[in-house]
Amino acid sequence: MASGKKQIQQLARQLFKLSLVDGVLSAERVPGVLEYLEKHYPAQSLAVLKAYHRLVKAEVARGQAVVEHAGPIGDSIVTGIAAAMTKRYRRNITGLSRPEPSLIAGLRVRVGDDVYESTVAGQLAALSASA
Amino acid sequence: MTPLLFLASAATTAEPGIAERFGLDAKSIVMQVISFLIVLFVLYKFGIKPVTATMEERARKIETGLKDAEAMQAKLAAAQEESAVIVKKANGEASRIVDDARKSAKDYLDRQTQEATAKANDLLGKAQQAMELEHKKMLADARQEIARLVVITTEQVLAKKLTDADRRAYNEAAARELTNA
Repeated sequence: MASGKKQIQQLARQLFKLSLVDGVLSAERVPGVLEYLEKHYPAQSLAVLKAYHRLVKAEVARGQAVVEHAGPIGDSIVTGIAAAMTKRYRRNITGLSRPEPSLIAGLRVRVGDDVYESTVAGQLAALSASA
Repeated sequence: MTPLLFLASAATTAEPGIAERFGLDAKSIVMQVISFLIVLFVLYKFGIKPVTATMEERARKIETGLKDAEAMQAKLAAAQEESAVIVKKANGEASRIVDDARKSAKDYLDRQTQEATAKANDLLGKAQQAMELEHKKMLADARQEIARLVVITTEQVLAKKLTDADRRAYNEAAARELTNA
């Protein structure tokens, strides 16, 4: 059972490597890989697809700065944050804005597993935790 | 033979010998002596000798009894002396035991009193510590609850009172903070 999972992970990683071009996830390679999977139905294809999806999703998240905000923000802010993150992580990172009213005011930026936050809700939560 | 007849016969007869004069007959005397010896023997054999033996036995018993009584008296005296010594010794021992018991009881009482005092102080200290901890916990809970209420109230107030312009300005400031960090 454990070796089966390992094989699935190995196949998913191989497919994921085939989806990269110069270390960057390629929008053209991913449909090709999926087409290959449709034609050559591997054993436990659903598990392989889930593992491949998880790897692609993580890679997309690594290359994307999700800017959660409460209230209006301009495109320049998202662009500026994407540029700053690109400079910080030394890889191309695109910006994506997402409204989140529970933040009250301010921004929360997610890049992969990293989170940067400057929000009223966060400051109030920190104040509550320190009391 | 009456004296008168004896005198008359003596006056009428020719001068007899002393034995005849006194009417003594050797045969009679011998017979009487033999009879007397027989009676004496019989008396001695069946009367005097048993009585003497009985008396000697009784005297011996009395003497033995007296000796026993004296020995018993001596033993009694010795026993009394011994018992007096034993009683005296027992009294001394009893006094010592009573003194020891009193001392032990006093020591035990003192020790129990000290232990009870120590336990009471310990319990008092623990109770004070528990009260202090409870007090601190209550204050911390109250502080936390107050902070929670303040935060909730502030969130509600800010959510209602902040305008889009305020939020935009805050977002721009946050963007500067995040890009410069």
